[in-house]
Parts: sequence; C-alpha cells; structure tokens
Amino acid sequence: MLSPGIGLLGVFVLLPILLTAWISLHSWSMYTPLSDMTFVGLENYRGLLADRTFMRSLTNTLLYSGLSIGLILPLAFLVGQFLYRSALRGKGALRAVVFLPYMIPTIAVAIIWGYLYAPLYGPLNQILGWFGLPPQAWLGSVNQAMFSLVIFNVWQTLGYYTILVLAGLTQIPTVYYEAAVIDGANGWQQVWRITLPLLRRTLLFVVIIAMINSVQVFDPVYVLTQGGPASATTVLSYQVYKNAFEFGLAGKASSMAFVLFLVLVVAVAAVIRLLRDPSGEP
Amino acid sequence: MISQLGGRSSSGRRLALAWQTVGYVLVAAIMLFPLFWMVASSFKTAQQLQALPPVWLPTQLDFSAYERAFSTVPFARSFLNSFVIAGGTTLGILVTSIMAGYVFAKLRFRGREVLFGLVLATMFLPPIVMLVPLFRIVQALGLTDTLAGVMLPNLANAFGIFLMRQFVAGIPDEVLESARIDGASEWTNLWRIVFPLLGPAIAALAVFAFTFHWNSFLWPLTVLQSPDSQTVVLALNRLVSYTSAIKFQNVVMAGAVISVLPNVILFLFLQRSFITGISQTGLKG
Repeated sequence: MLSPGIGLLGVFVLLPILLTAWISLHSWSMYTPLSDMTFVGLENYRGLLADRTFMRSLTNTLLYSGLSIGLILPLAFLVGQFLYRSALRGKGALRAVVFLPYMIPTIAVAIIWGYLYAPLYGPLNQILGWFGLPPQAWLGSVNQAMFSLVIFNVWQTLGYYTILVLAGLTQIPTVYYEAAVIDGANGWQQVWRITLPLLRRTLLFVVIIAMINSVQVFDPVYVLTQGGPASATTVLSYQVYKNAFEFGLAGKASSMAFVLFLVLVVAVAAVIRLLRDPSGEP
Repeated sequence: MISQLGGRSSSGRRLALAWQTVGYVLVAAIMLFPLFWMVASSFKTAQQLQALPPVWLPTQLDFSAYERAFSTVPFARSFLNSFVIAGGTTLGILVTSIMAGYVFAKLRFRGREVLFGLVLATMFLPPIVMLVPLFRIVQALGLTDTLAGVMLPNLANAFGIFLMRQFVAGIPDEVLESARIDGASEWTNLWRIVFPLLGPAIAALAVFAFTFHWNSFLWPLTVLQSPDSQTVVLALNRLVSYTSAIKFQNVVMAGAVISVLPNVILFLFLQRSFITGISQTGLKG
C-alpha cells in the first residue's frame, strides 16, 4: 500500500534531484542523448561565477525573496491580528476577500497587475495623480520593476499567510491576556510580551514557507518582463528555464538549479537558527 | 476585546471602531480592486480602453471580448484539458496519499520514521530544481505533449501523505484491532473502515490539489506544445502574446476572467473546508 506513493516520489522527486546534481557536473545539450554527456567536474559552477546574467539573477532572487518576506511578515501579522481582535461585524467576509487572490492562477494575477501598472492607461498612476504624485514607470523602470513584482506577490499570497497567523493566534490561551489586563498591561505590551513570543513558531513557519515560495518565482517574470528591463527582473528559475529549454544547455541549467536548491537549504537553515527560541525549542 | 485595542472610555471605543472600519474598508478595497479592474476591463470597448484619463466603468455589458478570446485561442478545448489534468492528478494524489497515510499512521515496520522523514523532506523541493531531468524522464517515456505526461510526476505528493497520516492517526486503534481479529486484511480495513471516516480530509486535500494543479504553469509549459493540448493557464499565456496591444486589453481580461472562474466558484462554495484545511495543517497542495 505504501509502494505507489513512495515509488512515485522516488522516481519523480528523489531521482530527478540526484540527476540534477549529476548533470550539473557535465557538459550536455538537451537535444542529444544521455550518452553524449561529457564529464567536466565543477566547470559549470566556475562558469556561473563569471556569468554576469546569472549573478544578477541570483541577487535579484534574493532581493525578491527578502522584500516579499519583509512585507508579508508584518502585513500578515497586522491583518491576522485585526481579524482576530476586531469587534467589527463581517470579519468572515474580509477573511474570504483577503484569501481570494491566492486561489487565482499567478499568470492571471501577473496579467491583471501588468495592466494596473500600465504607465498611461493604467489606474495606478491615475490614483497617484489624485494625491499629486508623479506617474511611475513601474515595470518599465530598471529600478522599480523588481519591486513591482514583489507588490503583487504580496497581494496574491497575503491571505494565505494571514490564515496561518490567524490559526496561531487562536492557539494562544485568552487567560494570558486577561491576566495582563488585570496587571495593567496596555495593548502594545500585550503584543510585545504575549502575542509575539507565543507566535514565534507560526512566524518562523510563515518565513520558511514564504522563502520557499518566493525563491522559485517564475510565472510573473516569464509572462510580464522576460527578465527585463536590462535583466532587472531576471531570476534563477527563469535562467534555469531559459538555459535548458531555449539554449539547450542542460549542464549549465542544472548547475543553476542546484545553486537555487543550495541557496534555499542554506537560507532555511539560517532562518531556523536565527529565529529559534533561546530555550532550545524549535 | 475592544479595550485591548483602544481606550477604555466609550468615546475612545467609538474612535477605535471608526479606525477599524477605515482599516477594513481599505484592506477590502486593495484586495478587490485588481479583480474589479479585470472584470470591468473585459467589458470595455476599444475606445474606452484607450481613453485618458482611464475609464473605470464600462457603459454596457459587451461580451464580444469573450467571443474574441474563445476564437483567438482554443479555450474550450483547454478547459477540458485542465479539468482532465487537475481532476486526474487530484484523484491520483488522493489514492496514493490515503494508502501511504494509512501505512505511516497505523502499521509498524522497521525504518518507518526514517522513510516518513524522507517523504517530508521532498515536500518543499522547488519543482524548477528537478525540471531538466524530469523532462527527460517524461520524454523517455514518450509522454511529451500529452496530458498523462503532465499528470504522471504529480500523482503522489508529500503534503497529501502528511495530511492523511495526521487524519488517520486520529482514528482509534481499537476500531482496527477488532476488525483484524475478525480476519479483515489491512486492505479491507483501509477502504471499509478508515476511508469512510476521512471525509473532511479528502475534501480539503481535493480542493487544494485541484486548484494547485489548475493554476500550475511551469510544468505544463515544459511538457505541452501543440495548441490542442494547452491548459487554460497556458491558453491565457498565449492569448497575451497574441494580443498585447492596449486596445485588446478587454480580450486578455476576458481570458483572465475565464481562467479564474472555476477556482473562484470552488472557493465560494468550499471556503470553510479550505480555510480550516490550512489552519489545521498550515500547508498547501
């Protein structure tokens, strides 16, 4: 009964990841049979260090992930706290509305936001104009393009992380807050002393999932920017795809993919280490 | 609860409520505006799309953009393909997850924890890392440009196994023991006794898996080539590349509405099972 599940995972997850590592040590064109692979050792990885587009995609990926997490974490906490605490009616409706974008294909989200960002005919610059702010180039600008992608990533995924925070908040026994009120603690003190420490595990989980999701960003880059303008939005996944399926450089693409994998492993390990409870609890 | 947020006096309470209302409206507006823009734009005429300043509301319900979207790319066919891929994959995930989840939860054998740990470790591997070898494997099996090629590598998934193990573990052992004494095999136990109790878990996993594979882009993009084998999301991507001029925004947005609709409907009906699913397991398809 175990074999179908384990067998499929073995053949379609474990085997491919080992193959990626193996192929990354070879020079091989996608269009030729496996037997044409030639072993080149770490040559592909050495090549990556000198490849400016690749290095740019690496820093862009880190930038995209860092900005996304930096925005998602406080916003998810804020909205989650709001949904948990507010006395307003209709909180269930708001929860559904915030979650809705998460259900939609990222390709559709990217397309919609592409039109929102349109410099001349888009509504965002129009709205900025109402507040006397100058129109922005958004996706057309080398400096703003990456941030523009981050914004709609946050928009799309915020609801999911908010639900995680909300689930964590409901786990905190209300007696803690009641005791704090009796002791004269104000709202801020309650957040700092009770909510945040007890939410540590949830927030750690949010950071890790957000990291895993953002480090493999592909769809919006493929459909909206193709890595431009001037490789301002090129990311690791996009480079892997392009090198493998447009240039046919399977060895190089695999070394890039493996770097992405290593970056993720190191980042997750670092975050677990940094955010771990001093008392030793994970 | 209010007193925790605002002041203690009634005027302070009223002020807090007012601020909360502002926050509520602001968040709702930000979340809904892009969706509003999508729907509204799909009904606008070419003139309205090129007007300055931008027009927010269409003056009439003009469905011609939808007809145009359907005639530009084979949306009808791609709908069928997406249903086969998302539905078939979901079914596969359910079967493999229930079986493996049962074994991990209820049967004792050597190396169980190590094996389960290994399964969990695969949960967060980004598909892009495996893309090149996966494509070659599917190619070697002769499945490129087929729906089966898209489905096959996804028929088992660690999250599903994890979710089912959690649920099956909650079923008391006594129920199974008495059936075993009556001579029931593990196979009968699983499908006669455990399976009927898994309703909520199956619903949660099914909606997750279905939307996840309906939305997926990178893998179908890699495997599928011919126009007849496209999924809805791939068709939408093609639609954009054919009609990127601003005056065709209505056609593209109509395509976006079409691609979004099944998931939105599914969500509206199964919202609770979705959100409790995430709250309980913290994860996605």
